[in-house]
Amino acid sequence: MKVLVAIKRVIDYNVKIRVKSDHSDVDLTNVKMAMNPFCEIAVEEAVRLKEKGVATEVVVVTIGPKAAQEQLRTALALGADRAIHVETDLRVESLGAARALAKIVEEQQPGLVILGKQAIDTDNNQTGQMLAALTGLPQGTFASEVAVEDGRLRVTREIDGGLETLELTLPAIVTTDLRLNEPRYAKLPDIMKAKKKPLEVRTPADLGVELASRIKLLKVEPPAERQAGIKVGSVDELIDKLKNEAKVIS
Amino acid sequence: MEAEALVTSLRNQLVDLLGQDTVVTEPHDHEPYCRDWHGDMTSAAVAVLRPRDTGEVAAAVRACRTLDLDIVAQGGNTGLVLGALPDRPERQVVLSLERMRHIRSIDEADFSAIVEAGCVLEELKLGLEERGLFFPLTLGAQGSCRIGGNVSTNAGGVNVLRYGMTRELVLGLEVVLADGSVWDGLSTLRKDNRGIDLKQLFIGAEGTLGIITAVAIKLSPLPERIETALLGVGDLHTAIALYRHARRACCDLVSAFEFMPPSAFTLAREAQPDLPLPIAIDYPAYVLIEISSSGLIDAKQLMEGLLEQAMEESLVLDGVIATSQAQARQLWAIREGMNEGQALRGPHLRTDVSVPLSRLAAFVAEIGAELDDALPQCLAVAYGHVGDGNVHLNVLPPAGATLAERHTLIEQAKKMINFRLDHYHGSFSAEHGIGRLKRDEFEHWISPVHRRLLEALKRAIDPEYRLNPGCQLPPITAR
Ligand SMILES: Cc1cc2nc3c(=O)[nH]c(=O)nc-3n(C[C@H](O)[C@H](O)[C@H](O)COP(=O)(O)OP(=O)(O)OC[C@H]3O[C@@H](n4cnc5c(N)ncnc54)[C@H](O)[C@@H]3O)c2cc1C
Ligand SMILES: Cc1cc2nc3c(=O)[nH]c(=O)nc-3n(C[C@H](O)[C@H](O)[C@H](O)COP(=O)(O)OP(=O)(O)OC[C@H]3O[C@@H](n4cnc5c(N)ncnc54)[C@H](O)[C@@H]3O)c2cc1C
Repeated sequence: MKVLVAIKRVIDYNVKIRVKSDHSDVDLTNVKMAMNPFCEIAVEEAVRLKEKGVATEVVVVTIGPKAAQEQLRTALALGADRAIHVETDLRVESLGAARALAKIVEEQQPGLVILGKQAIDTDNNQTGQMLAALTGLPQGTFASEVAVEDGRLRVTREIDGGLETLELTLPAIVTTDLRLNEPRYAKLPDIMKAKKKPLEVRTPADLGVELASRIKLLKVEPPAERQAGIKVGSVDELIDKLKNEAKVIS
Repeated sequence: MEAEALVTSLRNQLVDLLGQDTVVTEPHDHEPYCRDWHGDMTSAAVAVLRPRDTGEVAAAVRACRTLDLDIVAQGGNTGLVLGALPDRPERQVVLSLERMRHIRSIDEADFSAIVEAGCVLEELKLGLEERGLFFPLTLGAQGSCRIGGNVSTNAGGVNVLRYGMTRELVLGLEVVLADGSVWDGLSTLRKDNRGIDLKQLFIGAEGTLGIITAVAIKLSPLPERIETALLGVGDLHTAIALYRHARRACCDLVSAFEFMPPSAFTLAREAQPDLPLPIAIDYPAYVLIEISSSGLIDAKQLMEGLLEQAMEESLVLDGVIATSQAQARQLWAIREGMNEGQALRGPHLRTDVSVPLSRLAAFVAEIGAELDDALPQCLAVAYGHVGDGNVHLNVLPPAGATLAERHTLIEQAKKMINFRLDHYHGSFSAEHGIGRLKRDEFEHWISPVHRRLLEALKRAIDPEYRLNPGCQLPPITAR
């Protein structure tokens, strides 16, 4: 079974986000970029399926700028077999990404597609669902456990108040939740080998998809700065401050 | 009883002179100021003074003079040699700089800042990072230690190989002297040869010559790209060969190069049981390497190129490269967890030695074999800032050992290490200073001329021996 994994290059999640001074967008100049953490989990799951003998080939795909090849190489170092880069400098929205992915699915005919449940830059949480709608494939979102048994896919999902287990026919779409697995580190010999693995570059035009943005970003505001706390000297002072400054008691 | 009454009366007089707010009188509240970081040693003091600015520090010093009290300055109390621990409770006060934590100025054009001595290192670093500035001093205790303490111990840490010890990061100082006068040496000039460079006297003086109240620090541009890798290597010898190679291959952009034995994983996991193991744990030794760059230089390419070649030449057996900051932090957590893991194993010998880098591997192999031979029941671990020729060679007694047995084993191991160290022209204190813990070794090592110079300095600057007596040199009762 061929597994297709979609990954995204995003701002490293430990980086403190800065907003551009004109508030037009997040400032990405010289900021550390990394693979979206949920996508790392997706790659890890695909590689584990291959190690278990369930998957025969793992193909990673990204839609993004040239620099995103860095994340594809990382995925190859983590164990993916080959990569497809749909190159564009446009800001890609969920629907555009889902359309491009639908084309790749059509071409590659994977038995399973794994995506992160959301990308931490825009937090949309919809690409996987849109891809399922466009391809007409069944979907198991927010997976915390994935197993293939007798040609069917069992997906355990964390829902409010417990776990839900779904059984899906293959091919299917899965989106990963945080507790699905703990991604491995890229090992040196594999990083070296990854440089030689095939990486195919495609364009939106040759896939026949339109990626131009349909949503206009108006303004980005940083969250309000939290004020530093103070230490009060006594209970009386605390009560005084709660009364007269915070005005939460009277 | 009489002594107790005297101490109470001194406390009251301090309050009269300095005000209730500055003086911590309750012995119960002295506790965090009167024990060492490991919790192995506790002490007591007449009082803890917490001045809020330089004027209040000067007033506190004058008050102590009036009452004939000695002063132990204290920053974050993370020092590892008992330098900030009072040893004469009936006549010493702890003067904590913890309330002096203002950043007086930051100059982005000069790449400098003037900060008060009580600034917590990590808070300072984070604040500067938001402005694209980097204060390179980086060490395990940075969440608690304070810049005045860092200067007073000339702290090192993991970035020394690229940026130097604290001494190299200090442009100027403001110091309250033993007579209560203030020396304003807060220049931010990079070049200033107006006579003898006085600030150097106070850097690494461990509070024996003056009380540092503010520091002008040298900043660097914040590196934009940091690559971190954990490598399995054959032994310390190849680790050092790798370091030599890395400096040349990466245009001297290696910012950390730490060495660890395989026991690092066990020790770190004793402190943090769910720490992930990113690499097989049966290589003979490990290196944690960091390369950082800005501008057009691609640290990732440098790292991968370096390691590819190093693997071909068998300098590296295996390794992982962090792909995100989260992974990089996990790799550092192993190195940092080692300290906590050892602390959990009870009292043990901690050393902080350096020898010339070219002879470090031979030294560690030789003393390692000697220790294994003489003290087979103990676990000897060598790890640390190997790029600087600095290792912590620690000896951990077996689990069941009593305190007395531990003490004997520790003394025995210490003697063996110091003996071997002499042969290698090494230092028994690479980073941590002398404090009260290493006084005997210091006394044994210094020449008569060296001693005379130090005593002359002390007499000239603190003639009443009021500042941290008992630290570095034995207390001399001059009055
Ligand atoms: C063409 C030219 C260019 C220069 N460019 C620079 C420059 O770019 N940067 C810069 O900093 N300086 C520069 N200088 C000045 C610089 O200070 C000296 O050139 C040099 O450092 C002094 O070395 P010297 O051996 O000539 O010392 P001397 O001139 O012999 O002595 C200088 C001082 O040091 C003392 N001294 C000398 N040797 C010892 C010793 N062994 N022990 C104790 N005290 C000693 C002397 O008593 C005297 O006070 C320049 C000078 C010239 C002529
Ligand atoms: C987990 C851990 C990791 C560490 N790692 C390193 C490391 O990698 N490299 C390294 O070099 N050290 C290391 N240290 C020890 C290091 O020396 C201290 O962490 C730090 O530099 C001391 O700062 P502090 O504010 O805690 O000083 P304190 O412990 O409060 O004081 C240290 C000495 O300085 C004097 N002093 C403090 N403040 C002043 C002042 N304002 N004026 C005059 N004298 C003063 C004190 O009297 C005392 O003698 C480590 C410690 C720990 C606990």
